[in-house]
Amino acid sequence: MKAIRVQHTGGPEVMELVEIPVPQPKPAEALVKINIAGVNSIDGHFRDGSLRTPLPFIPGQEGAGVVTAVGAQVKSLKVGDRVAWSGALRSYAEYVAAAEEHLVPVPRAITDEQAAAAMMHGLTAHYLVTDAHKLKAGETALVHAAAGGVGALVVQLAHAIGARVIGTASSAEKAKLAREAGADEVIIYTEQDFEAETKRLTGGKGVEVVYDGVGKATFEKNLNVMKLRGMLVIYGMSSGPVPPVDPAKLSEKGSLYMARTTLAHFTATREELLARTSALFGMIAEGKLKVRIAKKYPLAEAAQAHRDMEAHKLTGKLLLVP
Amino acid sequence: MKAIQIKQPGGPEAMELVDLPVPAPKANEAVVKLAASGVNFIDVYQREGRYKVPLPFVLGQEGAGTVTAVGGDVKSVRIGDRVAWTGVLGAYAEYAAVPEDRLVPIPAGVTDQQAAAAMLQGMTAHYLSHSTYPLKRGETALVHAGAGGVGLLLVQMAHNIGARVIATVSTEEKAKLAREAGADDVILYTQADFEAETKRLTGGKGVDVVYDSVGKTTFEKGLNILRPRGMLALYGGSSGAVPPFDPIVLTQKGSLFLTRPSLGNYIATREELASRAGAVFGMMAAGKLKLRIEHKYPLAEAQRAHRDLEGRKTTGKLLLIL
Repeated sequence: MKAIRVQHTGGPEVMELVEIPVPQPKPAEALVKINIAGVNSIDGHFRDGSLRTPLPFIPGQEGAGVVTAVGAQVKSLKVGDRVAWSGALRSYAEYVAAAEEHLVPVPRAITDEQAAAAMMHGLTAHYLVTDAHKLKAGETALVHAAAGGVGALVVQLAHAIGARVIGTASSAEKAKLAREAGADEVIIYTEQDFEAETKRLTGGKGVEVVYDGVGKATFEKNLNVMKLRGMLVIYGMSSGPVPPVDPAKLSEKGSLYMARTTLAHFTATREELLARTSALFGMIAEGKLKVRIAKKYPLAEAAQAHRDMEAHKLTGKLLLVP
Repeated sequence: MKAIQIKQPGGPEAMELVDLPVPAPKANEAVVKLAASGVNFIDVYQREGRYKVPLPFVLGQEGAGTVTAVGGDVKSVRIGDRVAWTGVLGAYAEYAAVPEDRLVPIPAGVTDQQAAAAMLQGMTAHYLSHSTYPLKRGETALVHAGAGGVGLLLVQMAHNIGARVIATVSTEEKAKLAREAGADDVILYTQADFEAETKRLTGGKGVDVVYDSVGKTTFEKGLNILRPRGMLALYGGSSGAVPPFDPIVLTQKGSLFLTRPSLGNYIATREELASRAGAVFGMMAAGKLKLRIEHKYPLAEAQRAHRDLEGRKTTGKLLLIL
C-alpha cells in the first residue's frame, strides 16, 4: 500500500511517499481502508520533532474509511462497516490497523469527509463547550481564532447553546466566516486590541469564558477580559506555549479559573467517545453544525498540505485522499 | 471607646490599646457595639505591614454585635438589630462603623460570638465547597490542614454534602479533630507521604478536588493526586506562595483545572453575601456546623492572641471579647 513515512524529523519535505505492506490487524484491531485522512497541527508537531514518537513513523491522527478485516477479539465491528477515528498514528496511508476501541461508527447521513473532518476539531469543540466550561444560554464566550479549524466549530456550538459569542480573527475575510458561523461580534485583532474591545463589548463586565487555542500571545490579556470567577480554557498554542504562570494572578484578577486541556482526557472512556461523536454526527446530519473543508490533497501531496496548514492561509479542514 | 490601633507596623507589641471617639455613622453606615471580634491571619499580615494599610488604623476584619446608630440612608437595619460582618477594617474596638451593605442579620439560634467566628472562615468553607467546586455526593475531596480554622469547617460541609473526605493534618491530636468533624480518612503528613497515601486511599484514581490553603509545599503533589479533569482550589499559602508554574503541567497531569479564589470575590454582591451568610448561619442553628471557639481574649490582650495564633498552638477560632 501507499503511505507517507517520516524517517527523520524536519520540514514538510521529510514526508516521503513509500510502498509498504498492508498491516495485519492484531486480535483487538480492525483493518480499515482509509478513504479520507485529516491533517492537523499535531501532525506537524510530530513531523518536526516538537512532539516525539519513535522513528520512522507514518503520520496522521484521524480519518474515516471502511473495515476490511477484523481481529479475532473484535466484537462491535464487521467487514464493510464505515468507521472514523482520531488519536491514533498512521493515518496518512491507504490502510490502518486500529484498535477497536478507537473506532466509532459513521452514520449513513454523514460523508467520510465530514466524519474525518469532525473528529479532532469537532470533538475538541464539543468538549470545550460541554465540559471544559459548560456553556449556558445567556453567557458570553470569547473564542480566539474564531474562523480556525476548532474555533469556527466552537462558535457554532456556542451560538446553538444560546450564548453570546465574541470571536477574534486576523482578517476581514475570516471575520466574515466567524460571523457566518454565528459570532455576535468579531474583533479583528490585527487592527484592534482585543482586550479593550472585549471590555467595551461587554460594558466593562468581561466574559464568562475564554476559549483559547493561541497560547502565548493572548494569555496576559485573557486574564483581563474575564468576569469575576471567569474561566480560561487553553486548548492549544498556535503562537507558542504560555510562559510560567504565577497563580496569585488568578486571585488578583478576580478568583479566576484556568485549565490547560487536551482531547484525550475528554474521550478517555469508550462511552464518552461514543457519546461525543454521536452528538456531533447528529448535529452535522441535521445541518446544525457545518464543517468547512478547505482543500483536499492526494496522499502524495501531504507535504504541500503541511505547508499550507503552517502558512495559516486556508480556513477550514485540510484532508488527504489516499 | 477602647480600640487596638497600629501606629507603626511590627510585632504583636505594635498593637496599642487606645481611647478613641466612638465613630459617627456616615449616611450609608451603621454603628455597631461589638460583642466579639474575630482574630485572623490577615490581621497579622496587616499588623506586620505585609499587607499595606494607611496608618494609623484600628485592626480587625470581622465582628458581630448590636446596632446603636444608623446613617440617614440606611434602610435594612435598625437600632437594636444583631448583625455581623467581614471585610471591613476596625473590628478590634468597642464600636465600629460598617457600611449597611456589608452587614448581615444574625438569626436567633446563633450567638454573637458564633456569628463573629463564622464570618470569614465559615463563608470561606462555604464558597469553596458550594461555589468554587460545588461538591457532589459520592465525590472525593482532599482537604489540606483539615483541623485548621477553615479546614475543620470545610470537612464538616463536605461530609454533610455526602462527599468522601480525606484530610491532611500534622499531629495525632489534629487527626482526631478532623475525624470528629467527619473526615473519612486522615493523613498525618508528618509521617506519611500524602501523595502516595491519597493514591492508595483512592485506588489510584485520585480525588475530584483538592482544597489547598498550604500552597508552596503541597502544590505539585496536589496536582499528582487529582483525577483527570479534577480541580485544585488554592485558597491560601500558609507555607509560602506557589512559584510560577508551566501550564502545560496541567495538560500532562490530566487536563486539570486550577483556581486561586478569595472570599471577597464570592461575597461581592449584597445578594451573594446575604445568601452565603444565611446558609452558614442556617447550618449552625441546625447544629450541622460546629465551630470550635476555644480561645477568648479580652480586647486588652490582643497581643497575646496574636502570639498564640502565630505560634500555631491553637486549634479552632480565636475571638476578642468586648
